Amino acid sequence: MDPEFRGDADHHDGTSDAAPGGYVNQRRPGELGFAIFLTLASLYLLYDAYNISGFQALSAPGAIPMATTFVMAISAVIIVLRTAPLPRVRSETFRKDILPVLVIAFIGLLIGFGILLKPLGFLPTALLFLTLSIKLLTRKTWPYSLGVSVGSLVIIWIVFRVVFTVLLPAGIVPEAEFLQLLRNLANGGA
Amino acid sequence: MDAIFAILTIFTQPQLLILVGIGTFAGIYIGAIPGLSVTMAVSILISFTFSWEVYPAISLMVGIYMGGVYGGSRTAILLNIPGAPSAIATAMDGYPMAQRGEAGQAIGVTTVMSFFGGLIGILVLALAAPLVSDFALTFQPRDYMLLAVLGILLVGSLSTGSLVKGIFAGALGIAIGAVGRDPLTFAERFTFDFKILEGGISFIAVMIGMFGISEALQQLHNVDKAAVRQKISKIVPSFGTIRKYLPLSLQTSSIGVVIGALPGTGGDIAALMAYDHAKRVTKTPSRPFGEGAMEGLVAPETANNAAVGGAFIPMMTLGIPGDAVTAIMIGALFIHGLNPGPMLMIDQPDMFWFIVGALLMANVFMLIFGLTGIRIFTKIVEMPRAIIIPLIFLLSIVGAYAVNNSITDVYWMLGFGVFGYFMRHYGYPLGPVILGVILSRLLDDNWRRAIISEREDLGRFFEGVVTSPLSLTLFIAVILIFVSQTPIWTRAKSRLFGKAVS
Repeated sequence: MDPEFRGDADHHDGTSDAAPGGYVNQRRPGELGFAIFLTLASLYLLYDAYNISGFQALSAPGAIPMATTFVMAISAVIIVLRTAPLPRVRSETFRKDILPVLVIAFIGLLIGFGILLKPLGFLPTALLFLTLSIKLLTRKTWPYSLGVSVGSLVIIWIVFRVVFTVLLPAGIVPEAEFLQLLRNLANGGA
Repeated sequence: MDAIFAILTIFTQPQLLILVGIGTFAGIYIGAIPGLSVTMAVSILISFTFSWEVYPAISLMVGIYMGGVYGGSRTAILLNIPGAPSAIATAMDGYPMAQRGEAGQAIGVTTVMSFFGGLIGILVLALAAPLVSDFALTFQPRDYMLLAVLGILLVGSLSTGSLVKGIFAGALGIAIGAVGRDPLTFAERFTFDFKILEGGISFIAVMIGMFGISEALQQLHNVDKAAVRQKISKIVPSFGTIRKYLPLSLQTSSIGVVIGALPGTGGDIAALMAYDHAKRVTKTPSRPFGEGAMEGLVAPETANNAAVGGAFIPMMTLGIPGDAVTAIMIGALFIHGLNPGPMLMIDQPDMFWFIVGALLMANVFMLIFGLTGIRIFTKIVEMPRAIIIPLIFLLSIVGAYAVNNSITDVYWMLGFGVFGYFMRHYGYPLGPVILGVILSRLLDDNWRRAIISEREDLGRFFEGVVTSPLSLTLFIAVILIFVSQTPIWTRAKSRLFGKAVS
């Protein structure tokens, strides 16, 4: 395995961590667009950083933000200039390799999770999310996805709500009452 | 004497001992499941230990870190998929061994050697940190600033290919860290007049987004990849085997500690350098390198575990993290009200020695869990991704929400997750972003302190840099990293190289 190789390896075999993908001498679909986006965003941030305190003083609150956004803008421009002349990766398309429908679907599911979390409560939202996503990924029957979801959710709930005492939005589920009931039972038994 | 008592704290409280054990166990398995990384595990877990006392929280995280660095080697050997970047070099000879049916032996030797490496790293940490911290007391604000810049640059340049992308990522991190009201003047920075941004962006949200969500999204590409079954036989290595490779492992451990201790370089680089070293010094390897040489397995594995102890040195004494995981550990210490840096060793030496004790225990647990439970291990690694991925999403959301009980943090996390996903695809390293976010305050504060003490005069500031040997060294290092990426360097190198050849 070539340590300098940063091509397809991490993309398809699941090598983890922040080892970045990308090719050394080619550009992937959308890479140039992303670089241009970063350049524009950096320039806007630089403008915004200038508005914090301008060139008032070297120790002004805007000094470091201006310096960093300036560095961002310069490096983004260099990235654009370096990326632009590279030949495109022939074997890949944006829709298939960068942003496939599955990824978009999951981003949608996650946003849905965020929207429903407060009003509906953690348990129902999580159950809905797990069932839908496991069904989507395994393509097995609904009872299977529901079963796996309920099983894992019970474990997660016990670990995080009871052991780690993480507070999660209760929503429509009378969670606190249920916990109290359990406590009463435990105390009664002891 | 106090130090010894503090190290032993961990043994007096079985609860802490158990937490280190659980952490190590979880770390090994998380590190070993392809697609789950240590960085991800530590970042998600920090949010859950938020409300804990500091000792239990640290126990758990130390265990996960130690176990995770080791766990990455498992999949490197069995599947040729390094579970963590620090295991990349392990795959080069580990996988060929597994193909010959020697997976058990490879895992056994890796475990014992990781233990030795880890031990040496911790010993060096215990001996060197007090010295470094005394030295660090003489640091001026400008030295801290330079050190922070150096750390971010090193992570950007060494851990990945393109330095420009690394610099961009680091600067982006510093900018993200600056969002909100400036603590000194209360001026708004990058808030775009949104009230919600005045308190800044929770670094946990950024972290879980970048390492949890973006990674899980990335794994959606691999959802159909079936797990590979491997037969594993006897794994406990013989005493003779260990004795044979001990000299090499001592050498590569020292490489590991030193590389790990440099700010910005971690286990991955240590492992690759150790592999290279082994290749140079071993005259007669058990098999040719790359075809299953035991030496090629021993070297990177001792080095990456030795680097754990090494990486704690700059983290504990200077407050400068060595890599993404230590950056997250620093964040955790901040959350628990500790302030890593030279004052930590003076104000709370107990905390330092406790961490040393926890590391030692984690190392022992790693040896125990590494040599046992191989049957459960193969089962867990074969867990289908179609179930793991949704669970990671769920845990990420719970984690991001739990810190501030705020739904805004969940959206930040999703935003950074999607952004990080594209960064991954296009070869932008994520480590420098986190490092930048963590070091943003340190950089900002020290720059302002330094320049105010020089009465806002850049000339005087540079005079100070040039006249202090330490600042000058750091400054030259920063400049060298920049120059090494420009065409001037390549030209100079080819000229020097050309002369050497002729």
